[in-house]
Amino acid sequence: MENKGTRNLYMIPYALWIILFVIAPIFLVLYYSFFDIEGNFSLVNYKNFFTPVYLQMTLSSFWYAFLITAISLLVAYPTAYLLTRTKHKQLWLLLIIVPSWINLLLKAYAFIGIFGAYGAANNFLEWIGIGSRQLLFTDFSFVFVSVYIFIPFMILPIFNALDNLNPSLLYAAKDLGASGWTTFRRVIFPLTIDGVKSGIQVVFIPALSLFMLTRLIAGNRVITLGTAIEQHFLVTQDWGMGSTIAVFLILIMFLFMGLTGFRKRGA
Amino acid sequence: MTNSAIIQFHNVTKQYDQDPPVLDRVSFEIERGKFYTLLGPSGCGKTTILRLIAGFTEATSGDIYFNGKKINHIPANKRQVNTVFQDYALFPHLNVFENVAFGLRIKKMKKSEIAAKVKEALSFVNLSGYEDREIKEMSGGQRQRVAIARAIVNEPEVILLDEPLSALDLKLRYQMQYELRELQRRLGITFIFVTHDQEEALAMSDEIFVINKGRIQQSGTPNDIYDEPINRFVADFIGESNIVKATMIEDFLVSFGGGNFECVDQGMNPNEPVEVVIRPEDLQITSFEDGMLQIEVHSQLFRGVHYEITGLDQEGNEWLVQSTKKATVGDKIGLQFEPEAIHVMRFNETEEDFDRRLDSYSEGVADGK
Ligand SMILES: Nc1ncnc2c1ncn2[C@@H]1O[C@H](COP(=O)(O)OP(=O)(O)O)[C@@H](O)[C@H]1O
Ligand SMILES: [Mg+2]
Repeated sequence: MENKGTRNLYMIPYALWIILFVIAPIFLVLYYSFFDIEGNFSLVNYKNFFTPVYLQMTLSSFWYAFLITAISLLVAYPTAYLLTRTKHKQLWLLLIIVPSWINLLLKAYAFIGIFGAYGAANNFLEWIGIGSRQLLFTDFSFVFVSVYIFIPFMILPIFNALDNLNPSLLYAAKDLGASGWTTFRRVIFPLTIDGVKSGIQVVFIPALSLFMLTRLIAGNRVITLGTAIEQHFLVTQDWGMGSTIAVFLILIMFLFMGLTGFRKRGA
Repeated sequence: MTNSAIIQFHNVTKQYDQDPPVLDRVSFEIERGKFYTLLGPSGCGKTTILRLIAGFTEATSGDIYFNGKKINHIPANKRQVNTVFQDYALFPHLNVFENVAFGLRIKKMKKSEIAAKVKEALSFVNLSGYEDREIKEMSGGQRQRVAIARAIVNEPEVILLDEPLSALDLKLRYQMQYELRELQRRLGITFIFVTHDQEEALAMSDEIFVINKGRIQQSGTPNDIYDEPINRFVADFIGESNIVKATMIEDFLVSFGGGNFECVDQGMNPNEPVEVVIRPEDLQITSFEDGMLQIEVHSQLFRGVHYEITGLDQEGNEWLVQSTKKATVGDKIGLQFEPEAIHVMRFNETEEDFDRRLDSYSEGVADGK
C-alpha cells in the first residue's frame, strides 16, 4: 500500500505539468473558440470554418503535409536501411540527428542564403549551365526545406525498427526462396511498419501546422492552417477564429493518431 | 564420387580478414537419405559449414558440390536446401499457417495446394489445429516444430538443423531427439544436424563428423567413433574415457601404468610412444592381487546404476572406473580388462592412415597372422 502511495507521489510533477501545459491550454483554446471578434459568445467561428477560404486552406495544409511526409519517408527509409548496414552506425546516426538540435529559425535563415538570388544553389545552376532562377518563395523550396528539417525525425524511428530486426529472419526468408525484393516486401517492411508509422506521425502532424517556414521560405505563398492561426492571433487579433482553427487542428491530429495507431495482426 | 553423394566439400577454407581460418581445407561427402551430425565444441566452425551449404556465406577457397554440380556462387534462395535455425527465426508478424506457407507462397503454388501441404506438414510435427495461432502464443517446443514444418513443407533434398534442441529443457530434448530421428526416417530426406552435445550425436546419427578448430577430426558411425577414436581430442570429447601415455612395445603388446598388456593393435613402429584409451565401463574391479593394474582409490560417487570410482596407478595416471561393485576410498584395488578394451592411438595420424591401419587388422586376422 505504501508502495502505491509513493508511486502516486512521484506522479505529481508530471500530472501538474500535463494539467498546466496540456489540458488547460486545450480548454482555453476551446473556450476562446466560442467568442466572435467582438467578444460575444457565438458559433460564428465554426460556421466560418466551413467556408471555402478555410476549407481550401485545410486542403492545402493536408496536401503540403502529405508531400513533406511522403518525400521524407522515401528518403528516410533507404537512408535508415543503409545506416544499419554501416560499420559505425551509431556515429552516422548521430551525424544525421545533430542538425535537428539547431534552432529552426537559424536553419531557415541559412536556406534563405542558399536559395537566394545570389546564393550557392543559383551559383551552382549557373555553373552547370541551367542558369539562375527564382528558388526562394516557391513551393519547391518550401517542401525541400521542410523535408530537410523533418528527415531526422523520420529516420530515427525507422532506423530503430530496422536495427531491432533479427538478422536470422532475413536469412530464413532467403532460405525459403525469397528474392531481395520479396524479403523486403514480406518480412522487412511489415516488421518495421511501426517505425514507419511513428515516423509519419512525428512528421505529418507538425507539418500540418508549420508556420514560420511558410513565411520565411515560401514567402506566404503557402498558407497552411498553422499560418492562419498565427495571423489571427498576431495580426487580425481574431483570437476566436484562431482558436477555432486550432480546435480543428487538434481534432485532425487525434483522428490521425487513431488511424495510424492501429496495429494490424495476422497476415 | 559416389553417385549417392548429394553434397561434397572439396578442400573448403573459410577465412575472415586476417584471422586464422574458421574452416581449414575441409573435405567430406554427404550421402542421400542419411542422418548426419556435425559435432564439436562451440566455435569450431559447425554453423559456418551449414551457412556454406545454405548459401549464406561464400567459401574463401575450395569447392562445394550439390548433386555433382558446383554451387559456390548459387545464391541461397536458389538452393534445394532448407534450414531450421538455432533461434527458429519464425516470422513474428505471421501466424503458424503463414510461417509454414511462406516458402510455398513464394513458389506461387495454388491456394488449395498450399493449404493441403501446410496441413500435412503440421500434422507431421504433431501441430494439427495450431494453424491460426500467433508465434508468440507458442511454447519453445512448439516453435521448434513450426520451424521444422516450415522447412519440410518445401520438400528440400537436404535439411540443415543448427543446434535446434539446445534451447529446450532436458525432457523435451530427449523427446525431440526421438521425434527428429523418426521424422528423418519417415521423410527419407538427408538431415545435417549440428550439436555440441556428444550424447545427442551418438543417439541420433547415422554418421558423425567430429570437428575441432575448423578441421574434421574423424568421421564415422557413432559406434566407430566411440570405440575407435582417432586421437585424444575425439576420445575426450566423446564419452568418458581414460587416456594414458603408453609405449607400443611390438605388435599386440603395449606398455602403460607399469605393466605390459596384450592388445589387438598392430602396425606401429617398435617402442613407438602412443596413447591408450580405455572406457570406464570396460574396467572391472578385482582384488589387489588379481588386478592387471593396481590403483589407489581416492574418490567414489554413487550414480544410481553404478559407482564412479577414481584412483591413481603407480605411474600417477588417473583412472575412472564405472562399476556396480563398491570400493573404499584409500584402499588399493586391482583392475582387469580385456585386450579388446584397449584402443591404441598414434600421435598425429591422419584419418586415412588411421582407417587403413584399422582395416588391416581384420585382414591380418583373416590371414591367420
Ligand atoms: N562474420 C564473422 N566474422 C568473423 N568471424 C566469424 C564470423 N562468423 C563466425 N566467425 C568465427 O568463426 C568461428 C566459427 O564459428 P561458428 O561456425 O559459428 O562456430 P560453431 O557453430 O561451431 O559454434 C568462431 O570463432 C567465430 O568467431
Ligand atoms: Mg553455431
